[in-house]
Amino acid sequence: MADVVMEARNVWMEYKDVKALRDVSLKVSEGEIKVLFGPSGSGKSTLLRCLAMLTKPTKGKVFLRGEELTSPNADIDKARAKIGFVFQNILLFHHLRALGNVTLGLRHVLGLPKEEAKERAMKALREVRMERWVDHYPAELSGGQQQRVGIARALAMEPDIILFDEPTSSLDPELKGEVIDTMKELAEKGRTMLIATHEMHFAREAADEMIFLDEGRIIEQGTPEHFFTNPSTDRAARFLARLIREG
Amino acid sequence: MTTPEQVIFFFSYLSRGVLTTFEISILAFLLGTATGIPMMLLRTFGGRLWEAVVEGYEKLLRGVPIIIIMMLFYFGMGVRIPLLKDPFVSATLALGIRSGAYQSQIFRGAMRGVGEDQMMAARSLGMSELRAFRHVVLPQMFIIASAGLGSEYALLVKDSAYAFMLGLPGDIMMRARILRAAYRTFLPYIPAALLYIALTFPIATYLDRWGSRKKKELGI
Repeated sequence: MADVVMEARNVWMEYKDVKALRDVSLKVSEGEIKVLFGPSGSGKSTLLRCLAMLTKPTKGKVFLRGEELTSPNADIDKARAKIGFVFQNILLFHHLRALGNVTLGLRHVLGLPKEEAKERAMKALREVRMERWVDHYPAELSGGQQQRVGIARALAMEPDIILFDEPTSSLDPELKGEVIDTMKELAEKGRTMLIATHEMHFAREAADEMIFLDEGRIIEQGTPEHFFTNPSTDRAARFLARLIREG
Repeated sequence: MTTPEQVIFFFSYLSRGVLTTFEISILAFLLGTATGIPMMLLRTFGGRLWEAVVEGYEKLLRGVPIIIIMMLFYFGMGVRIPLLKDPFVSATLALGIRSGAYQSQIFRGAMRGVGEDQMMAARSLGMSELRAFRHVVLPQMFIIASAGLGSEYALLVKDSAYAFMLGLPGDIMMRARILRAAYRTFLPYIPAALLYIALTFPIATYLDRWGSRKKKELGI
């Protein structure tokens, strides 16, 4: 069995009177692609943020390569450098050009010298086919291009896993395709990824496992074939029907 | 009657005070930035107690006429601290410390404009809070704050005129007063006013325009 890269063990997240996550456990192993599926508000984003320790879970444990990140003496910054994160609303650094967005972490987190950081950033930007846009500010790029830079920013750090928080849902329909293509290419290269998305075709093609979340709970888990053709729960079936209807 | 030669002399005499006025204003401005940013950070991240302390301190400084703050330094604390017996030092400190209270406000607004998401994106790369602030929040904060900082600079240039009350020699205002006394005419105040405008207007306008252009270019 491949090494477990990331694990959530009985994770709970409670805000004042909302239980955003209820006892969620999951594992992602080396080279695996798992897709988090479920209606908005089901806890997908919260779960991803807990895994990257961008918010601290109320209860439960999070592990990266066996090291507990929820432990009080864990080096969270160091762990985050090994966890790529692609945001729903992209969140490029407005004041830096595409290249600067990608080199920032290489320079100031990994401490690479300027030239080496640049080389590595260019490699990542080529991987998302944005090498011709490196001198552009985010505001000068389309949403799809911005998100590809966002992916390159995560990729360049050479993370153990990349977490995608609905990377296409803030994009116009005609711009989603290029981001999905980029993700497919990463999938083919065997990257370890955990992806929250509503893109069914992508999930079907790329996912090793589907994880269906509803009201903060994992209610169904299985292969895409099983999930899309014969979901075990009514809740998942209804959600799928709605997605298909809305096309 | 005032002759054209006199007007030229007024201008040349007054313009030798430009450097002093500019020095006070710039030093006070930098002191304001150096105290304003930590105050803003303390108020934002320091917890309830610090928030209350800094807020009170800011309100106090912004609520008191600058001339009183200057006098407190020069005549008040100056009794004990010889350095403050220098009007230049007292005036600069008074202006700078009050400017810190205003700049803290300006930066607080600007930081809200940058938004917490930018910080989160930086943290997601593994940057410490301090590094994320330094490399991601701060540069954007300055762009958003630029117009406000421009007005603050203009305010400092104008309020530096009050330093004559401490007997500051050599600045535009004191020179205007000397001419006024020597020539028994209010006329020197007109070129003095023009010099103050020349010191404030271009820099404040430049900062304002640069900020707007940059904001547009970066979409912030």
